[in-house]
Amino acid sequence: MELDFLATLLLSSLSSAAILLIATVGLAVMFGLMGVINLAHGEFIMFGAYATLFATQIGVPYPLAIVFATIVTAIFGGIVELLIIRRLYGRIFDTLLATWGLSLVLYQSAVLIFGTVTPGIGLPISNVQIGDYSISVYLLFLILVAAVLIGSLYWLLTKTSYGITARAAIQDRETASAVGVESARINTMTFALGSGLAGFAGAILLPAIPATPNMGFAFVIKAFLAVVAAGPVTLTGTVAVGSTLGMVGNITASFWTSVVGDIVFFLLTITILRIFPLGISGRWRLKL
Amino acid sequence: MKNNLIPDSERVRSQKFKFFCLVMLAVAISLVATAQVKADDEIKVGSIFDLTGGLNIYGIQQSQALHLAVNNINENGGVLGQQLEVVEYDAQSELAKFTQYTNTIILRDKIDVLFAGLTSSSREAMRPIVRKNNIPYFYSALYEGGACDKQTFITGASASQQMSVLIEWAIKEYGPKIYIMAPDYNFGTISAHWIEHYAKEYGGEVVGSDFLALTVTDYSPTIQKIQAAKPNFVAALPVGANQTGFLEQFAAAGLKEKMGIVSTNYGSGNQQVVVSPDAGEGIVASQEYFMWIDEPNNEPFKAKWEAAYSLDEPIISEAADVWNAVHIWAKAVEMAGTTDSDAVIAALESGISFDGPNGTVTMQPGSHHLKQNIYIVRGNRTHGFDVIQTFESVAPSFEDQVCDLIANPDTAEHFTPADL
Repeated sequence: MELDFLATLLLSSLSSAAILLIATVGLAVMFGLMGVINLAHGEFIMFGAYATLFATQIGVPYPLAIVFATIVTAIFGGIVELLIIRRLYGRIFDTLLATWGLSLVLYQSAVLIFGTVTPGIGLPISNVQIGDYSISVYLLFLILVAAVLIGSLYWLLTKTSYGITARAAIQDRETASAVGVESARINTMTFALGSGLAGFAGAILLPAIPATPNMGFAFVIKAFLAVVAAGPVTLTGTVAVGSTLGMVGNITASFWTSVVGDIVFFLLTITILRIFPLGISGRWRLKL
Repeated sequence: MKNNLIPDSERVRSQKFKFFCLVMLAVAISLVATAQVKADDEIKVGSIFDLTGGLNIYGIQQSQALHLAVNNINENGGVLGQQLEVVEYDAQSELAKFTQYTNTIILRDKIDVLFAGLTSSSREAMRPIVRKNNIPYFYSALYEGGACDKQTFITGASASQQMSVLIEWAIKEYGPKIYIMAPDYNFGTISAHWIEHYAKEYGGEVVGSDFLALTVTDYSPTIQKIQAAKPNFVAALPVGANQTGFLEQFAAAGLKEKMGIVSTNYGSGNQQVVVSPDAGEGIVASQEYFMWIDEPNNEPFKAKWEAAYSLDEPIISEAADVWNAVHIWAKAVEMAGTTDSDAVIAALESGISFDGPNGTVTMQPGSHHLKQNIYIVRGNRTHGFDVIQTFESVAPSFEDQVCDLIANPDTAEHFTPADL
């Protein structure tokens, strides 16, 4: 096997892992940190994609449109928390039902507002040549985006006062309240953060994955599996599991077919959960 | 006073039964009444398309085309001097709804003809029902080919019809080595079989293939495999919105400069609107209709469409297929002088033809498929297509070969290339 094949394979599998991680971190915050099973996560990604599309259509340059989409989705998530999620903390099945209903509403609203086909914005046509192979620069750029995104999220949740109070409010609500943490407001902010991350995913992935009403469905299953297999040390666990699953899935799909890639992805998740019932990070001593 | 001889529950039940009988009687009377009203002044046209749900990118235009065609016929005096009335159901992109509504529309609404369905699975669900009830049924979408049944008539192009001209053209244009990217269900696998068949016939060779689930969004493994196989062109059959992402990722990796990319279904769901100009430019497609073709009847058809709806969203081939289907049926009824199914089917098997927006189309008596033009087009930078070449009156060669409903009227099959 040639060296150029292996080099592009490595890069393309890293980009697959990056796409998976970008689509998953929002869920890692909501489910891993807050324990909220948000079945509308995929539709939040779709929301971000359409918000970006809307912004570019009225003439906003794409980089600013990403910022716009992230903020709008975060605000939307905050409203959802205030109206729905807030009333359902600790009631896992009710949250499941409510967010599933929300996902149906969002899906059908997108069909009604934007129709079934909307012009996309397209990937920049520039690529890197490695021997006989070439790979899209944008996909390589996504690897960098994923790294920066996770780094800054880690910093936000461990080093800033918001991050520390946010984790306190979730770990022990009453004690946190006793020392003066306004946990209700902090929870709204954390949910908005998770939503904003989903919106960012929709926005940054938009060139590669066109906005369609049902695009969320493609992400949500793998994102959930990655977060569940990650376990209690949410962020580091998700990075470890997500990048492993993404890379292994990509490499098997490159040698055989995407069906085999998916099978390996699911088998690996099952194996991880058999060996580590609490998730891979069940015995880790990291904070996040 | 309470009647102690009959227990309460019993009494309630007998009251309920009386009420039930009354309701049933009322229903029966109203049914008889409506049946009589219907009797002879109107001909009923049945329509079942996906007006909501994931497949409505095709279903809405199919339904719009049906209404446009029916209005056009009614304005010109109707059929046999009678007006056509449309009975319509929304199948909601759910297979079970097709079975349910086909029964309803035949048994309760007593339609004279049915226009319905987009996916092959929906057609296969309806085919036995229309056969049992002997109702002429028109299926109007491009598909993998091979359906053969006395009551079923097909106005879309079959895979062999599109593929024969496209693969021959592409091998001449780009070279013999082909890579296939297709969705992982019967449309994709059977179409791939046809690509191999015609590759062999025209001196080409399939150097690799990848079948993808409709939920895949990250195509880097496929792109990696294509680069390893080094084909002269890729035959891509993306279905649904996610798979248009393949075209973006293909272009972004710079593969468009190295190889050609051809498709039999790109454009059929207006994918060229979703795909960016950079990715869409140069993709070659082949179908029985594109809005941009230059045919005498296309301009009037487009003008009618624009007056009724709008041209903001380009007209898809399935819409032209439905328009042709309704007019061919109307012509057959005029020819038969009655809406009686056997007489209409006999007229449809008489070599009937119609001048549609895509030129003259002719119903092949034996196979119930259309002989029609196939256009090879190239995507441009304005979300549209430029015509490269027109192949006139391409016969549905595979269907003509395996399916002869004149000689064997009892055939009810879905032939696949394996039957060759």
